[in-house]
Order: sequence, then C-alpha cells, then structure tokens
Amino acid sequence: MPESGNQTEGGQSAAGRAEHVPGQPGRYAGGPAATGQELSEVLGRVARGDERAFELLYDAMAAPVLGIVRRVVRDPAQSDEVMQEVLLELWRTASRFDPALGSARAWVMTLAHRRAVDRVRAEQRAAERELRVSLAPVPYDEVAEAVEASLDRERVRRCLGSLTELQRESVTLAYYGGYTYRQVADLLGVAAGTAKTRMRDGLIRLRDCLGVE
Amino acid sequence: MAPDAPDPHTLAGAYALDAVADADRVMFERHLAACESCREEIRTLREATGRLAMVTAVQPRADLRGATLRAAARLSQLPPAGEAAQRPAAGLVVTGSAAAAPDSPGETAPAAGRPASPPGAARRSGQSLRRRLSGPLPRLALALSCVLAAVVVVLALMMHGTQHRLDQAQLRSHAIASVLTAADVTMMSRQVSTGGTATVVMSRERRALVFTAQGLPQPGAGQRYELWLMGPAGIRSAGMLAGAPGGMVGPVVVHGLTAGDRVGMTMEPAAGAAKPGSAMVVVLGVGGG
Repeated sequence: MPESGNQTEGGQSAAGRAEHVPGQPGRYAGGPAATGQELSEVLGRVARGDERAFELLYDAMAAPVLGIVRRVVRDPAQSDEVMQEVLLELWRTASRFDPALGSARAWVMTLAHRRAVDRVRAEQRAAERELRVSLAPVPYDEVAEAVEASLDRERVRRCLGSLTELQRESVTLAYYGGYTYRQVADLLGVAAGTAKTRMRDGLIRLRDCLGVE
Repeated sequence: MAPDAPDPHTLAGAYALDAVADADRVMFERHLAACESCREEIRTLREATGRLAMVTAVQPRADLRGATLRAAARLSQLPPAGEAAQRPAAGLVVTGSAAAAPDSPGETAPAAGRPASPPGAARRSGQSLRRRLSGPLPRLALALSCVLAAVVVVLALMMHGTQHRLDQAQLRSHAIASVLTAADVTMMSRQVSTGGTATVVMSRERRALVFTAQGLPQPGAGQRYELWLMGPAGIRSAGMLAGAPGGMVGPVVVHGLTAGDRVGMTMEPAAGAAKPGSAMVVVLGVGGG
C-alpha cells in the first residue's frame, strides 16, 4: 500500500482506483488481502458521513460479505437482502468501529457472519426446522473446489488441511453451515463438549497457521 | 451457567464462530466483560474467521450496488459510542417548547471533530421535512427525520420477512404515523444500561408513544424485554417486546400515556410480569408533564 503514509492522499488514490474498476467488488487496492489499513481509513470516512467512502466500502466488501452470507443462508435472494442489510448497518454504525479492538476486515466479516446466522436461526425457529443431515453442507470440499489462482484461498485451504478432521469439520460446519456447537455435535455424533473444544482448538491452530496478529 | 459448561472459557471457539445459542452467548459475554485475555483471544480468533469469510467472496448482482448506496444516503448514522455515553441525561430531547431553549442536550450532542448535524441526505430530508412542517421547528424537524429514518429502516427490515409480518408492519406504521405527526411530538433517545439504544417518540395529545430500540443484547432463554409506563397513575405494563436480528425491537405503539409518565424497560420471563421483577435497563421520560 504505497499511500498508507498519507491518509488523505491514500483515500483519494483509493477512490481513483475504484473508478478504474467500477462494479468490481474486492478489486480496489489490489484485492481483499491488501485492504486492511485502507479499509480502516475508509470506515473512518464512512463514519463521518462520506458517501464516496461508502462506495469504496461497498466495492471492497460487498463481495466477501455476500460470499459468507450466501454460504450460510444458501438462498440467493435472501442472501442479497442480508448483504444489503449488512452494508447499511456498516453505514449506520461505522462510528463504532474501533481499530484497537481488531482489524476492519474482521469487524466487517464478524458482522456479516452474525447477520447471516441470525437469518438462518430465525428461520429455524419459525419453521421448527429439524436438522437436515442429508443436506448438511460439506464446506471444506467446497472451499477446496473453489480454489482459484488465489494465494489467500490456497493458504486458507492449506491451513484448514492442517487441522484434525474433527477440528476441521467442527469449525467449517459451524462457520460455513451456521450451526451451533450443539447442532454440530449432533451432526458429527459427538458430545457437545467435544465439539466445543474442537472448535476452539481448531480455530487456534487455524489462527496460528494463518499468522494472524 | 449451564451444568455442562463449567468453564465458560471453553466456549471461546464456538463464540468466535457464532456457534452459540442465545443463552450461551449471554453467559459468555458476561464472562468476556471480566476477562481481558479472553477478549484478546476472541479478537485473534475473529481475525482467523474473517479469513474464512474473505475466501468465499462472490460478486453481487450489479443492481444491488446502486440500491444499497441510495438506501444508505437516506439513512442517518449513529454517533460514536463514547460521545453518546457522555451525555448527562436523555441523549436527545427535542420538543416544540424546548426547541426555543438554548443548551438542550440535542443541540450540544455533537462533540468536537464531528459534524454538527447528520450528514448528507439525512440533513437534506430534514430540510424538506421542515418546509412541510412550516414553523420555527428546525430541530424538531431534524430529530423527526432521524427517527423517521430509523423507523423506515426497521420497517424495511421487517418487510424482508413473510407477508404476515408485512401486514403487521403496515398496521403498525399507520399507528406510528399518527404519533409522529402529532403537533406536540417529543423524541428522546438513551443508552440502555445493558447495551444498545432505546428511542421514544411521544405525543401527550395523542396519549401515545412509539418505542424502538436497537443493539439490545439477546434476552436469555425464556426471557423477553417488557415495557412499562410509570407515573402518577402507577406502574403499568406496556407490553412485551418481540426481538429481532440485530437486537432490534419495535417500533411498537403504546397507548394510554398519561401526564408525568416515564417509559422503562426490564428483562422479564417471556410470559410477562404484572410488575417489574428486575432493574430497569433504561428509563425515558420528559418528567413534569
């Protein structure tokens, strides 16, 4: 990020790049992996009511937000709605983002995942839907299939592969499937406490493999 | 604490994955509040889950971009959390009479370095609303535009649901409009002690109020939020609140407001309580009356 030393200039440069690739979510500033520092600055501008910055935020994050929402919610139409709700919530609550409490990217994706999970759990409650084991997603395989020429994807795939099978299934069923740890335990036929522990152990191993700071 | 969860810390992974039911979440967040190392662990685990999310990116339909940007331009924004918390009393009090008074909290709310009024389109809609209201009530107009924006958002979120919920929203929106358009409308907003923000728009003339809240913690299992009217006429239940994603409740219309009433909210058993069984998490009222 060559402009990161100058906030104002950096923001304007980011705007210029976004104009070169209109409607290319995730492409601004060189793709999702490069947006960390700049995304934090964009959020700061969004918090001050900068509608142009909100466009940058949309272009950078709408695609990953929709990606995780669709992974969890599954239904494309509902996923579109939840994605828009998440982006609007970012607009409304950008002032609450605190860089001291984590990266902008993690903040956005945490919100997106939470809203996706809220949506499917509300549906589960409304319909008294039972766990449909036959329809349970197999996200690890999907991740593997989805690998393109992306270093980030490759790294996540490789790090998921470094987990034990039970850790990996616990983490991916919970995160990509939107299941609670008790539901995951039912799906995997293990005790709830076991699923809970494997999630924590697996996430810690994933975190360390990914080199999260 | 659930009998099978003797050590809440073991929930850290499930919590970071949003793989906890509401009761577990409440328990763990209570634990987090008192455990700095746990907050740090959650922070780093959320960086990892964020990476799991980023690799799923799929390009949205092109038409969603313009729709989302336009919707945002009509939507007011929250002030920074610290700023709101510093307000001594009601966060935003705007009444027809108070509009003439200097130093009302609503006027002084924006802190240094923050815009003095809602940005962009929120201000524009405030101005158009002011023209329609035709009177020396700019601050009221501005406040109303904020609450209208909030109501629009809440209604819009409701309308994403089933037709049944849509019908309910339409019925409610009619009752809400009758309060919002009253001549003596008063709006207040306060932080909820357990998290979130509650907003009330009242009309003494219509003897009614509209209550909304957002960012509320999920009630524990078997519990719900309950609204109360408190004043010279005693303490009366004003109804149970249905929760929604994002800790949003309402907008609900409460009728039977009498002079001097305040509005409070507590957490109660889901079946409802005849009188408050726990501490008020927020109290709003203009006093006097």
